[in-house]
Amino acid sequence: MSALRPRFRTTNVRRRKEVTAAYLFLAPGFLLFALVILYPIARAFQISLYNWSLVPGQASRFLGLHNYNRAIHDPIFWRALENTGFYMAVTVPGQIILGLAAAVLLDAWLPGRGLFRTLFYIPVVTSWVVVSLLFQYLFITDGGLINWIIHDNLHVVGHNIDWLGSRWTAMLALSILGIWKGVGWAMVIFLAALQGVPVELKEAAAVDGAKAWARFRAVSLSAIRPVIAFVTVMLVIGSFNVFISVFLMTQGGPLDETQVILTYMYRWAFSYLDFGYGSALSFILTLIVFVFAVGQLRLFRRPSEARS
Amino acid sequence: MRVRRVIAFACVGAAVAVTAATASAHVDRAHTTTVTFWDAYSAGGGEVKTLESVVIPGFEKTHPGIVVKDVTIPYNDLHQKLITGVAGGQLPDLVRSDIIWVPELANLGVLAPLDKAMPDFKKYASRVFPGPLATNYWRGHYYGLPLDTNTRIFNYNPAALSAIGASGPPRTFAQLVSLSAQAKAKGYDLYAESGTSCWNVCPWIWSNGGTITNSTYTKATGYLNGPKSVAAIQMLVDLYKAGEMPGIIINSNAGLGTYDGINQNKYVGTLDGPWMDAIFSAAYPKTQITGSLVPAGPGGSVSVVGGEDIVMTSASKNKSAALTFLRYMLGYGTQAQMALAGQMPVLKSSAKWLTRVHPYYATYVKQLATARPRTPTPKWTQIDQVITTDVAKAFQGSESAQQALTDAAQQIDGLLK
Repeated sequence: MSALRPRFRTTNVRRRKEVTAAYLFLAPGFLLFALVILYPIARAFQISLYNWSLVPGQASRFLGLHNYNRAIHDPIFWRALENTGFYMAVTVPGQIILGLAAAVLLDAWLPGRGLFRTLFYIPVVTSWVVVSLLFQYLFITDGGLINWIIHDNLHVVGHNIDWLGSRWTAMLALSILGIWKGVGWAMVIFLAALQGVPVELKEAAAVDGAKAWARFRAVSLSAIRPVIAFVTVMLVIGSFNVFISVFLMTQGGPLDETQVILTYMYRWAFSYLDFGYGSALSFILTLIVFVFAVGQLRLFRRPSEARS
Repeated sequence: MRVRRVIAFACVGAAVAVTAATASAHVDRAHTTTVTFWDAYSAGGGEVKTLESVVIPGFEKTHPGIVVKDVTIPYNDLHQKLITGVAGGQLPDLVRSDIIWVPELANLGVLAPLDKAMPDFKKYASRVFPGPLATNYWRGHYYGLPLDTNTRIFNYNPAALSAIGASGPPRTFAQLVSLSAQAKAKGYDLYAESGTSCWNVCPWIWSNGGTITNSTYTKATGYLNGPKSVAAIQMLVDLYKAGEMPGIIINSNAGLGTYDGINQNKYVGTLDGPWMDAIFSAAYPKTQITGSLVPAGPGGSVSVVGGEDIVMTSASKNKSAALTFLRYMLGYGTQAQMALAGQMPVLKSSAKWLTRVHPYYATYVKQLATARPRTPTPKWTQIDQVITTDVAKAFQGSESAQQALTDAAQQIDGLLK
């Protein structure tokens, strides 16, 4: 027993040193995270409880949860939330399906594969401002390229469609831009994951008589499941943060029909200088994104992980 | 040996010269006051060039010891920069502020009341047009002086007007209605408007004898939704519903912008400010435009005042030097120089010579005599958004003009409290 005690003490000291070292290594990253993420979130929450005065030194009036109550009774907030939800519901599946399809095609042997990979990725690195203005031009009612094609040339519709003049057509145009801009990013991630799927597994499935679709579904799709989860979580977060395209193409109009959460928050904070209400809106958005992210991570967890 | 002595002398001489120069620079700097001036003068036109190469050098030459540090910021970014400056306690000495921001900044407590801080305020106030001066008033004090002004007139393409068979621009509401129908028959829109904010629709409300609020700016109900205001909006809605006004009034993406539309012979004219002539003629040198007064209604021909004021921040540490530069900006010479660069002066006396600078100023000067400011209140941005949204509902047809303006007035009442 006495012979065991020094060894136990040594192990304990070594373990404590390892834990201390681990915390020391974590500290710089955590400090940065606290400074740029946790502090702004806490500060936004604090501001959301006040009628916040911009001027340093001037007292701000405490309102409690009044700004949150305002949001609940604000019809434009709910419309903005619906629009953000619509954008997410269209752009996330759109980017995943098209990105995955492009990745599967580029994973196979194709002439000019590198060129196509670059072409798909170009929209990702193009400025949001530039492409938003470009899409605005495409969807202009009188003189826009889309109406010129479908009305003036193909005669598919009897009159020019007021794309950006009504709620759902405008949201559709914004979503098309979101999908076009994001497909390349999803494609690159999926392509990297597909290239990591062992060839032996695919060959074994082929030997067992599985056809192309069955092989893709049972082998490739199953193997890249964690990557699909990652892409979905990132795209959902990204879709809740839609701002520049709406701000530039419709400014949330007409009649606030195309407001999304961030454009609405921006208006209250930076146009009306009501930083309390603006912060409440942004904090609500943070909570929604957090709940969605946690929900998705649980949804995508493998049955074995869920049991453990 | 001789060479060494020469080198030594040269080194000592150089050291003495450098020390002397540095010392004199120190002395100069110690006696120099720097005035920081934020503005949104247009970099594309001649405004920034005139400010930086004529106005400021001229001031610094005649006022040794004061240096002006000019910071030009794009118009769309200046408001946000000011707000960031307020929050961070880092504001300049002087700001060339849009007239609609002055009550907002004054209400935040970041502007010095000029009628208290400037001993000769009354002298300068008496020299400027009363309309632009009124935009500086907030709760019993004047927080600035007008620096440049503008208003909207009916700018049109005379060739398009001839093409629709009109002998002249619409001078009255009745002529606007009849010529609009005449224009439609020829494939034109007589009047294109690019929004439903007060800037866009208030000239019609005022010209029809209506108002936005009472004279003390405390109530909109009974004014914005009064019969004269409603009738003015109804007239525009009727034109729109008859297909005689383009859809850009409620959706900027519905068609060509006003300038493009006039150039492409789709629109005959629009209401716009004095900058239009320079911008339009540079973009479309082959298309000529000219201007006439806003068509008159029962209330006369009344347009909206635009422009900028010059304000001093309460945190300025160089108030005396800042006021010296402020006075210089309102001097006859400076106002004339900026007029050459496209900025309409605010001096009453400028009416006599302004048309010699640019003939097209004549109609603007005439229009300014009756032009009105928008409601001076810190909540103006919110109020204007209410007007924009509710008036658009009348155009869209989801509400009648009466209902839309009544809804707007009720919301504005709450914002004016």
